[in-house]
Amino acid sequence: MASKYYDIDDILTEEEFAPVLFHKPANRVTIDPSAETNYVEQGAKVELPFWLAHELHLRQAVSINLPACFDQKTRLEIQADAACVDLRSRCPYFYEFGCKLQPLVTDRTLGILLSTAFKIRYKERLTKVFTATHLTASKFLPFLTIEETSLYEAAHLSMTAFKKWRTGGPRFQRASILGRKRKES
Amino acid sequence: MAGQTDPHVSLFSPEEVEFMAEDELVEIVPNMNMEPLNFIAGDFGRFIPQIPIQVPLWLAVALKRRGKCTFRPPGWLSVDNLTQVLEAEREPQSKFQALPFSYVEIARLLFDHARDDIPDMYMVRSLVEDIRDVRLHKLENNLGTFLGTSAVKMENVSAMEVNLVRPFARRALEAFYKHDKPEVVADRNTRSSRQPREANDEPRRPLRQR
Repeated sequence: MASKYYDIDDILTEEEFAPVLFHKPANRVTIDPSAETNYVEQGAKVELPFWLAHELHLRQAVSINLPACFDQKTRLEIQADAACVDLRSRCPYFYEFGCKLQPLVTDRTLGILLSTAFKIRYKERLTKVFTATHLTASKFLPFLTIEETSLYEAAHLSMTAFKKWRTGGPRFQRASILGRKRKES
Repeated sequence: MAGQTDPHVSLFSPEEVEFMAEDELVEIVPNMNMEPLNFIAGDFGRFIPQIPIQVPLWLAVALKRRGKCTFRPPGWLSVDNLTQVLEAEREPQSKFQALPFSYVEIARLLFDHARDDIPDMYMVRSLVEDIRDVRLHKLENNLGTFLGTSAVKMENVSAMEVNLVRPFARRALEAFYKHDKPEVVADRNTRSSRQPREANDEPRRPLRQR
């Protein structure tokens, strides 16, 4: 965990909102700026960023529900054709967020949903990276989540480096120190 | 690793892979007399005109550039052998054919520096490029077949090919591992009460045959 403390992706993942249900009334908190009182009633349904929801959940003040990006509609779409679902617009950190939510929600199928979605999308989309041209790839690139994009980038970078090497360029580089003329002593 | 140019990608650059391939031994025929050379990797020499000798590729290239030797192209770099390899690679469901671990790099260096010593140079070069492309496609198909396997077995993949897929494959396997782990835990919880899992050290999934 400590190694992830400064990880920007991890921080952004925890910024995603999750709907929670308050089990206890909370005083002197302003969650909704337009509310008349600074008081949250018991049984109120609110959307909180994950990091806050998590802390409150540990204190058993709230229970976390599944966010909209894992709703029934998305599931059906993933079942139909996972490779074509635009996960990025639903949640840019679909997998990370799902993994973080998994131990906190009652839904047991979340893990399976994540792994099947990833397996299918991996097979259909990501393994084509090495031979596909960048042009065809750019069509599905906006659908990929951040995690998938980093995979894609890794493959793309190594492929570009390889192509660059194959087509040549300066072969033997001269060390800069060799270029200078030696001073006559 | 010290040799990596970019720690974030965890990749040797192709130039670095080529550098390592320059330690492979090749056969040359010198045309000059020279005392033996003593290197950390071993002693090479002495050099006598018309007597073939094995030297590291980098030394061979250096001598060739000075016009001090001719290359004996390695046995696998012949039209006959390469045609055969290409045919075999194109067979559907075939394995990777056995080629030298650094065949991409060696071929490249020889094509650049020893053009006149390779018979049917253009034919050989296009064959090598075809083989490389076919193998790359095959490698990509193979990547598509790992679905949560904890171990992957691929034989005869060459240095450049491994280096090409390394960052991608590593991250993909990490992702698979991450998503498979909770299932395993849940699996154990439900199953352990009923029957102890039979202990075996074998991978749970049969490794894919290619």
